[in-house]
Amino acid sequence: MITARPVPRQPLPPLLWVCGASAAAVLLHATEVPPWITISALGLVGWRLAALLGPARLPGGVARAALSLALVAAVFAQFGTLDGLVPGTALLMLMAAVKLLETRSRRDQYVVIGGALFLLLAGCLYGQALAWVPLYGADALLCCSALAVVAYAPVTDTEAFAAPIGLATREVLALAGRTLLYAMPLAILLFLFFPRLPGHFWALTSGENAVTGLGSTLTPGSITSLTASYEIAFRVRFDGRPPPRDKRYWRGFVMQHFDGATWTVGWLPPGLTQRLECLSRPYRYRIYLEPTFRRWWLALDTVMGSPSASVRYTSDYQLIAAHRVTRPLTYSAVSCTRVRSLAPLAPAARREDTQLPPGRNPRTRALALRLRRRAGSDVAFVQSVLAFLRTGGFSYSLTPPPLGPRNPVDDFLFHTRTGFCGHYASAFVDMMRAGGVPARVVTGYLGGKWNPYDGTLIVRQSDAHAWAEVWLHGRGWTRVDPTAVIEPERLYHGILDLLPHSVSAPERLVHAWPWLGTALERWEALNGWWNDRVVDFNSRAQLNLLADLGFRSPQLRDAGWAFAVTLLSWLAWVSWQLGKAVGEPVPDRLGRAYAQLCRKLTRIGLPRGGHQGPLAYAQAIMRRRPDLAAHVGPLLEHYAELRFGSGSERAHDRDLRAFERAVARLAVRRRERPLRT
Amino acid sequence: MNAAAARDCDAAALRRALQALESVVLGKPRQVRLCLTCLLARGHLLIEDVPGVGKTTLAHALAQVLGLAWQRVQFTSDLLPADIIGVSIFDRASQQFKFRQGPIFTQLLLADEVNRASPRTQSALLEAMEERQVSVDVTTYRLPEPFFVVATQNPHEQLGTFPLPESQLDRFLMRVTLGYPDAAHERELLRSGDRRDLIPALEPVLGPEALIRAQQAVRAIHVSESLLNYAQCLIARTRERPDFRLGLSPRAGQGLIRCAQAWAHLAGRSAVLPEDVQSVLPAVVAHRLERRETASHGSPGFTAGTDAADELIRTVPVPI
Repeated sequence: MITARPVPRQPLPPLLWVCGASAAAVLLHATEVPPWITISALGLVGWRLAALLGPARLPGGVARAALSLALVAAVFAQFGTLDGLVPGTALLMLMAAVKLLETRSRRDQYVVIGGALFLLLAGCLYGQALAWVPLYGADALLCCSALAVVAYAPVTDTEAFAAPIGLATREVLALAGRTLLYAMPLAILLFLFFPRLPGHFWALTSGENAVTGLGSTLTPGSITSLTASYEIAFRVRFDGRPPPRDKRYWRGFVMQHFDGATWTVGWLPPGLTQRLECLSRPYRYRIYLEPTFRRWWLALDTVMGSPSASVRYTSDYQLIAAHRVTRPLTYSAVSCTRVRSLAPLAPAARREDTQLPPGRNPRTRALALRLRRRAGSDVAFVQSVLAFLRTGGFSYSLTPPPLGPRNPVDDFLFHTRTGFCGHYASAFVDMMRAGGVPARVVTGYLGGKWNPYDGTLIVRQSDAHAWAEVWLHGRGWTRVDPTAVIEPERLYHGILDLLPHSVSAPERLVHAWPWLGTALERWEALNGWWNDRVVDFNSRAQLNLLADLGFRSPQLRDAGWAFAVTLLSWLAWVSWQLGKAVGEPVPDRLGRAYAQLCRKLTRIGLPRGGHQGPLAYAQAIMRRRPDLAAHVGPLLEHYAELRFGSGSERAHDRDLRAFERAVARLAVRRRERPLRT
Repeated sequence: MNAAAARDCDAAALRRALQALESVVLGKPRQVRLCLTCLLARGHLLIEDVPGVGKTTLAHALAQVLGLAWQRVQFTSDLLPADIIGVSIFDRASQQFKFRQGPIFTQLLLADEVNRASPRTQSALLEAMEERQVSVDVTTYRLPEPFFVVATQNPHEQLGTFPLPESQLDRFLMRVTLGYPDAAHERELLRSGDRRDLIPALEPVLGPEALIRAQQAVRAIHVSESLLNYAQCLIARTRERPDFRLGLSPRAGQGLIRCAQAWAHLAGRSAVLPEDVQSVLPAVVAHRLERRETASHGSPGFTAGTDAADELIRTVPVPI
């Protein structure tokens, strides 16, 4: 009786790995492309899997061509173009999945994995945050594993001698991981020294994502519940001593236009022409700005100049760039917390900054006119309005009651008397303008928190703030923060500390569990390092590195040289290691002569297989070229005798020379007409 | 008779022996040559294949042609060590125990279906194979010279068999598989009937003395340093490869060289060439290499081992 042998567990088929790599690459882009593209690509992968595992049939050539054309057309219909990162990615996703449908040979599988790797590269263009790195690493590991599986897969009968090896899953992962590790030095080398061109080659994205931080409009009455977001707006590293806490105003937009309910940015002011006089000590710092999807760059109030040639420094001290900030940005700036401008206010600016919509908020206007008449000067007027706010029974809240749409400022000042910075700044500026004093609303951030792990000041979206500026004769634009009058603590504490109940659930958690906050601080410090040192490693940073390495006044060419030298030495090291592993001994005199003989025969199409001994070689030659037997046969026998015969350990010089001469004399020719037997 | 003439005479006898064997076992010249090589290299032989392809016939013919005294034991699961080695019997006449020799006391022992016996019996046989002597009670008896075991076994028949463990497989210098004959030879077999009828008619062409002389001649075949390099590369590769559970042992390496010497001697050469090593390598190493995949089900599948040996030959370059 014969029992069946247990069948050894088969390793996963290579195509399964290839499908896995494709699916992972598709999923990597799920958030970037329209859902139907992800779903279709996954569907195509599923189709291939079904054909592999079950009864599903693969489409024929015509059907595949039609499918491809239809998908190209669909992508074109979706985007109106095939150009650009997102349409290109979508097209690549779909075409790689279609390619999977016609995957038969090993070569096809390589092509599909290549597509998956290209999609991974495209993914790196979208997101470069540290949090993505493990995902990218996992995807790279998966692709490399798939490559290893395909490369080691048992092949067809044509390569009969290659024993079916088929790696187990753990071996595959280990192999791919090792390979990636071996590649790391080269990757680091390329990263550090491959010449970088100035400018952001990668800055291809222009996504119009939701704005979470500052808005360019301010409508205090419509907001009834402001939730403080824990997201980071930017980080700052000061050179030397930072300014005191109550002077950390970070200027964003200036809003000049008011329609009675909503403040908007209004006009774009001209560039600053007059000189600013610095009344405090200058503060130097570096800002690491997160994407805002706006053109404004944040700076400590008041910045003394533009940090970049492409950023306009306007007459109201804003920094407005030519393009929106779509990727993390780093720049240095100098600011003074107190400045004075002696130049007079231009008539156009005065018109803009005293503009009020006619017929709106009449009670506010009446009150302002009364206070202005009573006050002797603009400065006294400011004081009296602040006194009104201080003594009028106002309170600070992030959940104020709604205000009427017609006269929201009246509503706020005379009824609800509850609000946050936006309400106070808005009402204050309204009153100033009603009293004839040029004034404007400035939004930005106030404060920030020190991260003890990297010494940066972290400013979050919850630190967003709005304040007022008034034009005072002899002093120029002067900051007045009416919120500080109502809630002086706001100057020293973040909203999270002031009103712990008005923040959203995750932030409350951070507040409740200090260790979570600590962990977050560590993570943010690491993230900052990543953005600063890795993502932002541009041509300037590269040249600085070269200067540190001893190049005087380094240039791109030097980077190229450094790159070439290090690359070559790395390659030399690797090939030396590989050579050592093979351990091929240097051939002796006899070996050299034999190698020469083999070269001569190889040239006429009779190469020696590495595993062929001399007699087997002679037989193989004789089978294909019987005419050479008389010349080559004895030579090979002679070699066998010299190499392996009983005299081989003390081969005589004379025999060696005879063999060498015979090899040198041997003249063999390729047969004119190839004979097929 | 001088030495050179004796050598020529022995060489002629070996050629005749090969011819005689090939006339009985049709279409398997390579396997026949390997079997003779194994015996010339003073090793025990394991013939493994499915039933009915001529294992026993080949073993019989070997014994007959070599002119050795031979015994045959059919291994079964109830075979006891004493059934092979012998037993002490109380002799009434002399009033003492007397050892009655078992079938192992012969020059060529044909152990049919060796893997059907219990491990205990197998190990008694295999111990005798290694030591070339047997111990009963306190007395040690030397086995005759020469002494060979030609064992046959059937790999597919799992029921009622006790697979030989690696340590015992290692005692066999070679494992030869026969395989089905090709069409022409199969037709010849179908026409001519049982080949075993031919065996008694075979003329013994070598005797024990001639065989021992041939074995000594094999030892004198030259093995150059270059060849040892090559052999070492082959052995080292089996130990580097992660998919082998065990590499080749030094004993296997010695066996490889001995077999290559015997092969070269049969080919009429005075020195071993890499081709000789390659010719004997699959038969010598296939049963000693165990692949990881097959590790969980007992004895290594012989196909995998043979494939591995072929791959070994292909991938290790011959030093130049």
